[in-house]
Amino acid sequence: MAGRRTLQVLVMLGGLIAWALQFTLIYGVTSTLCGRGWADKTLFGGGVVPVTILLSTLAALAIGAAMLLLSLKEYRSLQHGTASAVDTFMNQAAILISGLSLVVIIWHGVPALILPACA
Amino acid sequence: MNAPGLPKSFERDRSELPNPLPRPEGEFEGLKKAWEPPKGISFITAVNNTYVGLWYVGTAFLFFILAGILALIMRAQLASPESDLVGHDLYNQLFTMHGTVMMFLFAVPAVEAASVYLLPNMQAARDLPFPRLSAYAFWAYFVGGLVFFCTIFFGLAPNGGWFMYPPLTSTKYSPADNADWWLLGIGFIEISAIAGAIEIIVGVMKTRAVGMSLDKLPVYSWAMLVFAAMIVIGFPAIILGTLLLELERAFDWPFFIAERGGDPLLWQHLFWFFGHPEVYIIFLPATGMVSMIVPAMAQTPLVGYRLVVLALIATGFLSFGLWVHHMFATGLPKMSLSFFSAASTAVAVPSGIQVFAWIATIASGRMKLTTPSLFVIGFLFIFTLGGLTGVMVAMAPFDWQAHDSYFVVAHLHYVLIGGMVFPLFAAFYYWVPVASKRALSERLGRWVFGLMFLGVNVTFLPMHITGLIGMPRRVYTYPVGMGWDALNLVSTVGAFMIAIGVAIFLVDMARNFRFAGEDNAGNVWNAGTLEWLPNGNYATRSIPSVNSREPLWDQPDLAKNVEDGRYYLPGTATGGREALVTSPFDARPQYILQIPGPGWQPVLSAVFTAAFFLLLTVKLIFLSVICGVLAVGCVIWWLWETDPGPVRPPADIGGGVVVPVYVTGPMNHSWWAMIVLMIVSGMVFTCLIFSYLFLWLVNPMAWPPQETVLPSVAWPLAAAFLYVVSAALILWASRVLKGDDRRAPRSVPILIGVALVLVSGASAVDLWAQWRSGLSPSAHAYGAAVYAILSLQIFFVLTTLVMGLYTIARWVAGRLDSVRRTTFDNTMLFWIYTTGQGLVGLLVVYGFPRLGGGV
Amino acid sequence: MRRAGRLLLISGPLAAAAGCSGIQSALDPAGFDAQRIYVLTLVMTAGGALIFLGVTALLLYAIYAEPSRRAWLGSRRTVLYGGLAFPVVVLSALLPYGLIVMRDTDAPAPGALPIEVIGEQYWWRVRYPAAEAQNEFSTANEVVIPVGRPISISVTSADVIHSFWIPNFGGKIDMIPGRINRLNFTAERPGIYRGVCAEFCGDQHARMAFDVVALEPDAFAVWRTGQSQPAPAPPTPFLERGRDLFRTGGCGSCHAVRGTDANGQFGPDLSHVGSRRTIGAGQFPNNVGTLAGWIANTQHIKPGARMPSYGTLSGEDLRALAGYLESLR
Repeated sequence: MAGRRTLQVLVMLGGLIAWALQFTLIYGVTSTLCGRGWADKTLFGGGVVPVTILLSTLAALAIGAAMLLLSLKEYRSLQHGTASAVDTFMNQAAILISGLSLVVIIWHGVPALILPACA
Repeated sequence: MNAPGLPKSFERDRSELPNPLPRPEGEFEGLKKAWEPPKGISFITAVNNTYVGLWYVGTAFLFFILAGILALIMRAQLASPESDLVGHDLYNQLFTMHGTVMMFLFAVPAVEAASVYLLPNMQAARDLPFPRLSAYAFWAYFVGGLVFFCTIFFGLAPNGGWFMYPPLTSTKYSPADNADWWLLGIGFIEISAIAGAIEIIVGVMKTRAVGMSLDKLPVYSWAMLVFAAMIVIGFPAIILGTLLLELERAFDWPFFIAERGGDPLLWQHLFWFFGHPEVYIIFLPATGMVSMIVPAMAQTPLVGYRLVVLALIATGFLSFGLWVHHMFATGLPKMSLSFFSAASTAVAVPSGIQVFAWIATIASGRMKLTTPSLFVIGFLFIFTLGGLTGVMVAMAPFDWQAHDSYFVVAHLHYVLIGGMVFPLFAAFYYWVPVASKRALSERLGRWVFGLMFLGVNVTFLPMHITGLIGMPRRVYTYPVGMGWDALNLVSTVGAFMIAIGVAIFLVDMARNFRFAGEDNAGNVWNAGTLEWLPNGNYATRSIPSVNSREPLWDQPDLAKNVEDGRYYLPGTATGGREALVTSPFDARPQYILQIPGPGWQPVLSAVFTAAFFLLLTVKLIFLSVICGVLAVGCVIWWLWETDPGPVRPPADIGGGVVVPVYVTGPMNHSWWAMIVLMIVSGMVFTCLIFSYLFLWLVNPMAWPPQETVLPSVAWPLAAAFLYVVSAALILWASRVLKGDDRRAPRSVPILIGVALVLVSGASAVDLWAQWRSGLSPSAHAYGAAVYAILSLQIFFVLTTLVMGLYTIARWVAGRLDSVRRTTFDNTMLFWIYTTGQGLVGLLVVYGFPRLGGGV
Repeated sequence: MRRAGRLLLISGPLAAAAGCSGIQSALDPAGFDAQRIYVLTLVMTAGGALIFLGVTALLLYAIYAEPSRRAWLGSRRTVLYGGLAFPVVVLSALLPYGLIVMRDTDAPAPGALPIEVIGEQYWWRVRYPAAEAQNEFSTANEVVIPVGRPISISVTSADVIHSFWIPNFGGKIDMIPGRINRLNFTAERPGIYRGVCAEFCGDQHARMAFDVVALEPDAFAVWRTGQSQPAPAPPTPFLERGRDLFRTGGCGSCHAVRGTDANGQFGPDLSHVGSRRTIGAGQFPNNVGTLAGWIANTQHIKPGARMPSYGTLSGEDLRALAGYLESLR
């Protein structure tokens, strides 16, 4: 029971948690690389800063999308069957939250395409 | 853990009420007696939320008036250029105090205070789970806040801005005590806020009406839950920041002094990591209030409940990605700024969701244009404008122009007055009938609204222009001929219009507010939520079972049945004050929580806590220490009466639901509170580790500085060994402390005692290792950071020491055994935390310089 | 001069509406950086105003329209489209636009003229590093720049945090002890502008401004050559008396006058103080009268400034001293 609830909360907040991790990572990496003058290194053929940001963004997107898919699947199974009101609520909140978090995660990847790494 | 199984009988036909009529003789009288407020001088020892909540709201409002008066003096000074009304010294104190008092003594306490009053009522709980903690939070705030405010009358008030940027606030540039007043003065307000947050989290999660599952939780409760979680995450940053700055001022540890490896920007990161979420910490409870008021005024349920909950949660998360937008001009790489720009943009979306949810609700119902409605409409108008200028300043290039100009003054007042003050006034007009025998006057209310609404726009709309045509913030005067004169005069006129509006509100309160014990004005708005149930000092007569979000609309005769005692727990099971604890998701009854009644302990410990900080500020160290010891003593005296144990067998609360009157383990409310406290502590520690890494980043080739000798790894290994063994002993004690022979095994106090020696030894070894290596905390930021980690750990070990000795004392006094063991559990949780923090600290302090040493 | 002839700066309608003098205004851009930000401001103000009007109209409609006519508005769809989809679309467009403006604004350019500005309580030390046979020199409270050439200003602070802001040329940049920040811009329109300290820096934060003079390149070259010379010798005996008072009064322990033995580095370099437009960090027009008033009443005019009042000087002495300073052009 408690385990299932914990899982529900994790799925519900998963998208936003993925964003928080992405945010911490890209900010930490940019600050450290620029602060130490290590930003002129390359990674997979691109500058280390933008490539790290894009990779983090993709990873966060993957987590957010997984939460969205999980909750959509859950949504279908909840349609048939006698789901409790709490389950329905948590599920719909999860769909909305992970959907919104996808947008926010993409927005945080955009700067890598526009701005110079450390100027 | 001796929690009961979930009562199966809960899943019965809902049409049948749990308790039959007539109620037994004396049941109601017993309930009333248990909740009777203290009389005479001991009146101030009252702890239940109806009293403490109102005092709390009243005090917060007093600070609103006081800080508003400071603003009027400032506006009078700025009415004309080169004015001589107040000098620079007083002006700098005025704007510092205006900001500080509005933020720390009005806004956060006001929303916390309102929830102390409202939350239990709205969830049909008898009280918050820790009423004495609320009382403590209130009294610390009341005494400390008033003394802090009075410094303005002696020219001792802080004058470095509410943001207190070092090095201006460092000893070199602010040698007087003014800055210390801010640092220590804010200290106890932080404690008070954290205490409140813990209370609110446990209150929302565990003390609700039966059946008020998460999907039926009032939006206000959701807002307060997110609010409290944000305090738990955000406030530790400012706690740590004030600690570091005070350490620098008192002992010359150079965290922020550039010449010795510190960095002034560290403070800005810590301050704004708290400071920006702070804005949403203030705003979210206000939106929660609006989400309660709008449905009542439109007489229809809120449209888009799930979307609003999503908005609250998303705001809670995103608001922690905004802090650097206060630092757009500090010269960080554009890439770094852009992340904060993106988050600042993103946070507009949840606000948009809420605004449209209210509009949709209004459209789906029939909005009565009462005074609360007017304030809500005014809120929507002003806040939308403030939100839009918020998106503007989220764009870094625009912010480079607007930052620290009057544009930002305009923006922040639109957001805070629109987003918090207007909803608060709406809340006053809306909820006064719950607390008072009479509602407030609709006629005067319209005047209050009209004057405040016009006043706010007249004051702050011109400031957008004033800022863009170059007027910087925080100037005590400005030159003639810059084109700012007329705009400033208009702003001053507007400020006095607001003041007249607030004055009329005070008249209205004086004429109509009459405190109501049991005969309040009643459900004057025909609202649908539980705070409008008939109630008294004991809250509702019985605890209802609800099956919708607006039970008063959907469950006919609910009020009458509740009042007749036909729902759960219509009397008292133990003869004392009780609350019904429900499960966090589905709100099924779990156990009866015996809550403490009035007592001098919270008042005294709060007064001594405030005295400790205040005396420390004026450098009366000896007296201060005495007060600190007395404060701890009073807290122990207070705790001694708690953790009552299973005073009677499980009780029937109605409908065949039988619940125990005492549980331990993860279901227990204080277990939850302890977990929250551990998160707070963990955040303080995380911020400290962040500070350590930040200082590493600004000190290339000097981490540690050249001549530093790193102690041998034998030392941290020895300390780690001691920590682990001490925690293992406590866990062992927990394992053996169970079974039918409640006093077995006899070795429990010995185990705790040995563990205490070990844990103290661990931090002593750590301290000794650094000391003998000759590391100085004041020579370089490296040493300061190392000693800061060490000092924090020592503080936690000392706290563990007090808790351990207290636990032993309870065992010796026969107040702790294998069943009645909440005290032990709490100590154990804290112990594990202290150990974990100690181990991470050792890893960072001894490991990191070896790993990235000198790079 | 790549940008010459591209002087198409929108003069601010908002500024005109506010009737401002425009020497310290973000709404009267005099360079392309400020211009770009100004356009962003206009776009966001217009867009924001439209959204604000739309929301207000919907709110009033929701309150006052006939229940049957407004029923469509009272659904979850409204929240989804109006509160979620609409902001996401608008902000998805605004964010990249803002980022592009950010990329192009305050961007380093090759061949920029380096200037160093150090914020001090409560004035500005301005240094022009040596370049192309020009000696380095220091001045104070006045930044003189050529139009059309990129400028790169390095800022830091000698004490507390200040912030360097010339609204007509672009955004502000903080001056932080221990850090060196850069601000890049190009002036496109000759004229007199004004900058201020934007970060609260103590007692006299309100009186910490400076003049910005944008000159045609030739005029700038002349100015720069003049400033790099030693101070002129006093031409009259009366002014010589002023110089002697300057020496005997100990002014030289804080102030430098190049070419004399006054070489204090604590306060502003006064070698060419007479050529500056204002004194007291942008507070008063510079002439003998204000100079004398300043010397005698510093602590009355600007309490908390580092310079003490020299109120004991006789009127005659004060005039001589002020006259000497005024002659240092």
